[in-house]
Amino acid sequence: MSNDVKTENFRSIGKPVPRKEDHRFLTGNGRYLDDIEIPGALHACFLRTPFAHARILSIDTEGAQKAPGVVAVVTGRDLAEWTTPLRLAPPIEGLHPTGMTTLPIEKILFNGDPVACVVATDRYLAEDAAEMVFVDYEPLEPVASIESALAEGAPLIDESLPSNLVSHQIFSAGDPKGAIARADRTVECFFSQGRQTHVPIETRGCAAVWDEGRQHLTFHIGTQVPHPLRTQLAGRLKLSESQVTVVSPDVGGGFGQKIALYREELTVAALARHLKRPVRWREDRMENLLAASHAREDVVRTRAAVTNDGRVLGLEMEITEDFGAYCFYPANYIARVVAMILTGPYCIQDYAFDVKAVLTNKCGNGPMRAPMSITSWVMEGTMDAVARELNLDPIEVRRINMLKSEDYPYRMATGEVLEDITPRETMETVLEAIGYEDFRRRQAEDWAHSVYRGLGLCVVVEPTTYGSAFYKSAGIPGSGHESAWVRIEPSGAVNASVGLMGTGQGYETPLSQAVAEGLGVDPAQVTLHLGNTDIAPYGMGSRGARGGTAGGSTLYLAARDAQTKVLAIAANMLNLNTPGELRLVDGRVERQTGGKWDDVDLTLTDVARQAYLDPTNLPEGMEPGLEFHKSFDPPPMTYSNASHLCEVTVDPETGRTMIERYIIAEDCGTVLNSIVVEGQQHGATALGISGTLYEEVYYDESGQNLTGSLADYLLPTACEIPNFEIIPMHTPNRRGPAGIKGMAEGGVMGAIGAVSNAINDALAPFGVVAETQPFTPQRIRDLVRGKNPSG
Amino acid sequence: MDGSGKISIALKVNGDSHEVMVAPRKLLSDVLREDLRLTGTHVGCEQGVCGACTVLVDGRPARSCLIFAVQMDGLNITTIEGFNREDGYSPLQQALHEEHGLQCGFCTPGIITTFEAYLVENPDPTEAEVREALSGNLCRCTGYQNIVKGILKAARVMRGGSSGEAVAQ
Amino acid sequence: MKPAAFTYHRPASLDEVLALFAKYGDDAKLLAGGQSMGPMMNLRMVQPEHIIDISRIEGYDEIKVEGGNLVVGALARHHDVANSSLVKDSCPVLAQAAGTVGHYAIRQRGTLGGSLAHADPAAQLPLVAVLLNADIEVTSAAETRSIPARDFFVSIMTTALEPDQMVTNVKFPCIVLGEGWGFHLFTRRAGDFAIVTVAATVTLDGNGKVSDLRLVLGGTGPVPMALLDLAEAFKGRLPDVEWVNELTNAAAKATDPDDDPRIPAEYRRDLVRTLLARALADCVSRCQEGQI
Repeated sequence: MSNDVKTENFRSIGKPVPRKEDHRFLTGNGRYLDDIEIPGALHACFLRTPFAHARILSIDTEGAQKAPGVVAVVTGRDLAEWTTPLRLAPPIEGLHPTGMTTLPIEKILFNGDPVACVVATDRYLAEDAAEMVFVDYEPLEPVASIESALAEGAPLIDESLPSNLVSHQIFSAGDPKGAIARADRTVECFFSQGRQTHVPIETRGCAAVWDEGRQHLTFHIGTQVPHPLRTQLAGRLKLSESQVTVVSPDVGGGFGQKIALYREELTVAALARHLKRPVRWREDRMENLLAASHAREDVVRTRAAVTNDGRVLGLEMEITEDFGAYCFYPANYIARVVAMILTGPYCIQDYAFDVKAVLTNKCGNGPMRAPMSITSWVMEGTMDAVARELNLDPIEVRRINMLKSEDYPYRMATGEVLEDITPRETMETVLEAIGYEDFRRRQAEDWAHSVYRGLGLCVVVEPTTYGSAFYKSAGIPGSGHESAWVRIEPSGAVNASVGLMGTGQGYETPLSQAVAEGLGVDPAQVTLHLGNTDIAPYGMGSRGARGGTAGGSTLYLAARDAQTKVLAIAANMLNLNTPGELRLVDGRVERQTGGKWDDVDLTLTDVARQAYLDPTNLPEGMEPGLEFHKSFDPPPMTYSNASHLCEVTVDPETGRTMIERYIIAEDCGTVLNSIVVEGQQHGATALGISGTLYEEVYYDESGQNLTGSLADYLLPTACEIPNFEIIPMHTPNRRGPAGIKGMAEGGVMGAIGAVSNAINDALAPFGVVAETQPFTPQRIRDLVRGKNPSG
Repeated sequence: MDGSGKISIALKVNGDSHEVMVAPRKLLSDVLREDLRLTGTHVGCEQGVCGACTVLVDGRPARSCLIFAVQMDGLNITTIEGFNREDGYSPLQQALHEEHGLQCGFCTPGIITTFEAYLVENPDPTEAEVREALSGNLCRCTGYQNIVKGILKAARVMRGGSSGEAVAQ
Repeated sequence: MKPAAFTYHRPASLDEVLALFAKYGDDAKLLAGGQSMGPMMNLRMVQPEHIIDISRIEGYDEIKVEGGNLVVGALARHHDVANSSLVKDSCPVLAQAAGTVGHYAIRQRGTLGGSLAHADPAAQLPLVAVLLNADIEVTSAAETRSIPARDFFVSIMTTALEPDQMVTNVKFPCIVLGEGWGFHLFTRRAGDFAIVTVAATVTLDGNGKVSDLRLVLGGTGPVPMALLDLAEAFKGRLPDVEWVNELTNAAAKATDPDDDPRIPAEYRRDLVRTLLARALADCVSRCQEGQI
């Protein structure tokens, strides 16, 4: 569908409207899960195993059951009576089906795996009682790395699988082997991203209220995906979806961790029904770091077939992801996206990939803001490596290989179609902003004085929004559509809803702007209702960067439908034949006569009153009321793009990296709210820097997780994150109703690539390449120790 | 002390006096939130690292997760709710709003209480000083840039200056 | 995580504290600022039966100069120590170190006595105490005596304190005219426990040669390492580039840090060399400033 809207005429969309939701957050009146009072609620506490891999021989809960305040102590066998197990068996070639019981029964699989649940009158007493549960384990040999997982005779994590290689797919397009044969050289690179975890400042938690009379569960939970969660929860509890309501209050961050239905949450829901009393759970920070969801820990090898003048003839890549012990998602799905989009903005048709996912005795992986985060580092790091090995300027190598505007729409080797993106333009813009030639001159001077300055470029093509056709062509069950309703009340108040749920992105204001734009009112007049599955229409929730594209577009379309009916009623009220000369602006009807728009003293409230309270005067055949429902399925894939440029200095004595300057040029199409978009750019880029330099979930060889506190798992503070200079370069998406492309994950991808490339540029005089993240000072020092820098 | 092990204590919070019965081990963060229903103070780690639970004790920032409520008998505690005014926002709240210095809002009360105190002690901080003082509050959403801008703007306003941008990048 | 249950005591005077401490001995822990105890109790790593809250005992947070020593009460908060003009003038290395402990909010509550008694091997204040061989006054119901800092720290989180003793004040020798000091630490992030910390003082004689030298390393062993023999061996020379190189290499060699896959021993030694060179450079330039 092509876009017929002139985005430059937008009155609401794109404006830097300060956020409505700020008031409650600034005054301490936000309503997060733990703020909700539920009289009589019991508190759950999970006992978690200290072992990495063990058989459960017995669990003695007798002592705990008698402890003060304890109402129940349950284990996997109890939960198996009340719930169904999870089975993940999508029809994907090379992916083994996996499953799990609600709580472990036979084996525990990682340090932190929950083995029992204590329910008591308060959390303090529940923890006391949990210390009295005695589990008899038979420890098994732990598998704590990809190498040991794939080794001959390795212990099996999932004994129903032939090995720990849970997923393996290969693909080839064109003739990459032929390209290698023809090439002047083959450049080989290695990239390793650390194991990370999301660390929302608000941990997981939930509260289940079971209405025995109505046989209905109300489940309060901070979630990104209220409806899909409801579907899963009902299914696992053997309830009908009509018997479950999911309500999400304010959420203190999600970043992808608050999507899956976790075992603890299912346990709490089942307990509420079994005990016929409300049960609530707050995850503490150690549990969150050990046992919520992990992410990344992928290694990639590339082989680029190149000519001596820097043209890439073909590319091969292999990726292996350490997926942990439990599959809450198909194990291949993250790594596969990396492989599918790797070539990004480059003209490479001879391409092959090999994607593996491996099970280990670690907390299971899930998507974390930009699950495909390694992608741009791999592609851009490969380009830098090509330049290094051929002794060419890395920018020239990019210019030779990057798509030009006349190349679009461009079908990638993997079948993905790129259009309406501007990587080349953003690249040239950031280079001009830093003064590239001037930088190289400064760098040469600094190197001569033993100051190791470097510049890293990362050009990002970010897939933001999956349409249903994407899932179909990938053979994955799933839908990309979104649903919304807009309702104008008899008083003229505008209510709207969509199947997304915010976890801090600040939906309320930008989505109000989308509705306001489509309808013709002030955004302040629009109220969004999100997160309650009884109120919001069934939607796929908030993940990836689909909020703007899928949610914003759907609301905009629903609001346009509303405007159409409103103007038809208005025309009728004004005794006009057609509404063609009417428009609604700030809730007032205007009529165009002789090229001029005049207010005709008719408001949205007047129209609404007629629609609800005087329907016999509506146009012939028109239904009463002003309620509009819309579903919208975006194109298979929508992309936005950016270039990140980072200047660093590296101290070879301590290995510390200092970020001196950071510039971003981004094209994310029509922007709903420029303030909110900038906030997302800052947050995403900071998260990428964090993963590159600081974060690492660390398991020792016996599978013990040594990063169970925020003193050990390092998030950067305000002293470690620089100011970002952002240059907006937005061009509209011609395949979306309001030109929206979406954004919010590309910053992560860009930062990982830009910072890494900058470090390697800074260390060039030492002849070393840093490949294993996070680039801690120790690792950098280790690379340069004993090496004499050349000029 | 009654048979349940609870002790009666007098807490002064935001100028109001409260008598509560609490177990000695109950953390101040939990007592504020559950017994006094002041849920603006948030709990992020119970290790004193994230700063979300920061309140003021006799005007000085303190991690309420590292204090047992029983220790606070008779002391003056200020929580985020204590900064709310009838006539609108404090300069700090206003500046954070204008500069988009918050997203999910979970870390925000801890930052506000810290800086309401800090800006009294250091009314004209440099950006580096603000970042150093802010380093005790972890934020996963914003990347800190707009929080810092908001604090510097608030400091300008509180010194009697204009809220406009004064400094080039 | 929530702490285990305990009996709470808040005595009003030092005598009451000591009586309780004598009564409960090993079953009791003192609670001052709570910034180190709190996290350990919340994790249930420690589960004392009795908590003796000393945070509100009056009179033990004073800072004064007496007889060539800076005397700091055990309950003085890090923030006050760092910002006191008395401390900045008479013992600037202590002011500097106190200002690097944790974060702004942590420093409002954490106390000097608490930090010394906790004896974390990476902590700054034990390091400064050892650098200057401060006199640590300890008191029990039975007696009051002083333990020199170099004898006070026994091992990781272990001091010479008996179960019924508490730290009441600490005497740091005041800086003398012409003495230069340096303090450097390396952390991953602002406010973290340091990986390695180094502090030094240097005094130069009329010929510009090193007449007095104190060195201490933190993060390289179970307790702060006062390199007394090394300091002795490097006196009497000009503090030139060669002197710095030899001294920093010797200091690094003198350490035997734990080797950990995440922070290798070799890295700690690298940091010793780098940080000590920077600290010594600061010492010398401060000496020269002082002599102008």
